Amino acid sequence: MTTAEPTAPRPETAAVPTSGSFQGLGDVKLIFRQFRYEQLSFWLNPVGAFFTIGLSTLLLVLLGSTAGSAEVGHGLDIRLVQYYVPGFVAFGIMSSCFNVLAISIVNRREMGLLKRLRLSPVPTWILLAAIFLSYMFIALLQMVILLVVGKFGFSVQGPVDVPAFLVTVLVGMLVFTALGLATSTVIPNVDAAGPAVSVVFFILVFLSGLYFYIAPGSGLAQFASYFPVRHLILALFASFEGGRTSPWAWGDLGVMAIWGVVGVAVAARRWQWAPRRG
Amino acid sequence: MPAVSVRSLAKSYGDKQAVSDVSFEVEKGEVFALLGPNGAGKTTTIEILEGFRDRSGGEVSTLGVDPAQRATQRWLRSRIGVVLQELAVEPFFTVRQVLTRNAGYYPAPRPVDEVIELIGLKEKADQRVKKLSGGQQRRLDVGLGIIGNPELLFLDEPTTGLDPLGRRDSWNLIRQLTADGTTVMLTTHYMDEVEALADRVAVLNNARIVASGSPTSIGGRDSGTVTIRFALPEGVTASDIPLEVQSIDDGLVTIRSDDELRTLHTLTGWALEKGLVLPGLSVSRVSLEDIYLDLTRTAS
Repeated sequence: MTTAEPTAPRPETAAVPTSGSFQGLGDVKLIFRQFRYEQLSFWLNPVGAFFTIGLSTLLLVLLGSTAGSAEVGHGLDIRLVQYYVPGFVAFGIMSSCFNVLAISIVNRREMGLLKRLRLSPVPTWILLAAIFLSYMFIALLQMVILLVVGKFGFSVQGPVDVPAFLVTVLVGMLVFTALGLATSTVIPNVDAAGPAVSVVFFILVFLSGLYFYIAPGSGLAQFASYFPVRHLILALFASFEGGRTSPWAWGDLGVMAIWGVVGVAVAARRWQWAPRRG
Repeated sequence: MPAVSVRSLAKSYGDKQAVSDVSFEVEKGEVFALLGPNGAGKTTTIEILEGFRDRSGGEVSTLGVDPAQRATQRWLRSRIGVVLQELAVEPFFTVRQVLTRNAGYYPAPRPVDEVIELIGLKEKADQRVKKLSGGQQRRLDVGLGIIGNPELLFLDEPTTGLDPLGRRDSWNLIRQLTADGTTVMLTTHYMDEVEALADRVAVLNNARIVASGSPTSIGGRDSGTVTIRFALPEGVTASDIPLEVQSIDDGLVTIRSDDELRTLHTLTGWALEKGLVLPGLSVSRVSLEDIYLDLTRTAS
C-alpha cells in the first residue's frame, strides 16, 4: 500500500530527486492505468459511445444494402460494397482520431481539465498518450466490427494484404490524431467545436469519395487529392483490392505523412493548456 | 526554509506587465492570501509558483526548488495540490472513481475514503459528478487538490460562485487542512474570506503589492481609527457640524477619528444642544474592506 495515515509525518523534503520525465516500467504501467480510465469514461456515456462506435457500421449497412451490389464502374468490375468496407474503416479512423478527439480536447481545455492534467505529478506525455491510445482503440474496435459486418453481411473479402492494411491503419490513426490535435488548437470554444469539426469532416469525406467512387483524374479527384482523407480511403482500398495495383499505396501514405507532420507542427506551435474562453 | 519565497518577481505578456517587482514569503503551516481585484496579477503569480507558467524575471522558490526547473518538476508536483478557478472534473465518473484515479498519480496519497469524508461527500461517493450540485462539485475539486496529501495547497478563488453556506463549508474545510500543517496559499477578492482564514495577506493592485501584513494590522487597521456615520439631519449643512467631515455621500456623513470618545462627545453634545437627532448613528472600526478599497482605488 502506498497510502499514508493522515497524521503520519510527510517524507522529508531534503532529498529532491531530479529524475527526468521518464521513469521506466512504472510509467508504462501508468499509461495503461490511465488508458483504462479513459475507456471507462468513454463507456460511462453509453449513448455517446453507441453513436461514436456505431455510426460507421450504420452507414455501411445503409449504403451497402441499398447501393452495395451495384458495380463500382470506371473500369472496375467489383461491387460498391467492396469499396465501402475499406472506406468506412477510413471513416471510423477519422471520426475517432480526428473528429471526436478534436472536440474532446477543446472540451477538456475549456473545462480546465488540461490545465489540471498539466499540474498533476504524472508527466503530461503519459496522460496525453493514454488519450490518443484510447481513441485509437475505439477506431480499431470500429474496424473489427466493420470487417465482420462486411464479411458476414455482404460477403466482402477482407484485405488481401494484411500487413499493408495494418500499416495503413496505423499511419491513418497517427496522421489523423495529429490533425485532430492541430484542429483543436484553432477552435476557440466548446460551442464552436462540434459544428466546426463536423462540418469540415463531413464535407471532406463527401468530396473525397466515401459515399461514391470518384474516377481518378477527374476534377473532383484532383481537388480531393490535396487533402489526406481521400488518400486514406484509397490506401485502405488498395490493401483490400490488391490485384489491379500494389496493395502498398506508398504515394497515398506519403501525402498523409506530410499532413501528419503539418498537424504536429501546428499543434506544437499553438498548443495551450489553459482555457482560452474565446 | 519558507514554503514559498518570491523576490522581485516579474511577468509580462508583450507590453503588458502582469506582475511587477513582487516579493513575499510564505512560512510553513501558514495561510497566506493574495487579495486583489480581477486582473491584478494574483492568478499569474500562483501559476508561476506552481510551475504552470514561466516568469520573466526575479527569483522564485516553491518548497525549496525553482518551479520552472524541469528536472524537479515531477517531484514538486507530487508535493503540491492545486484547486483551480474553474470546475475541472469529468462528468461521467463517480466521486470515488475520480478520486481513486487521481490518487494513483501520487507517491503517498491520502486514503480516498478519508478525503470523501473530509469534503463531506460520503453520501454522494457513488454518484456521478454531473449529478452533483455546483457546491458539491467545488468540494470535489478541493478533494482532488488534497488527494495527494500536499505540503502546500494552492487555492485560486476557492469560494467564487458559492452560496453563503457553501462558503462556510469551504472555510471549515480549509481550516481543517491547516490544522494538520498544510501550508495554504489562496487568492480571493473577498475581504471576509481573508479575515476568516488568512494569517497574512498581501494586496495586489496593478501588478504590484501595495500592502501586506496580518489581516488585523494591514493598512494601519490596528491604529485605533474609527469611522462614525449618520444621516445628515434636515436643515443642517456640512459646515454646521463642529468636526472634520471626511465625506457626505447621498446624505450619509462619514467622519474618521483616532479619538472616538472625544469625537463622539463633541458630536452628541452639539446634536443635543441643537435639538437634533442623528439618524442611523454608527461607530465602526475601519474594516478590511475600507482599507482594500482605499488601496485598490487606483485600479480603474
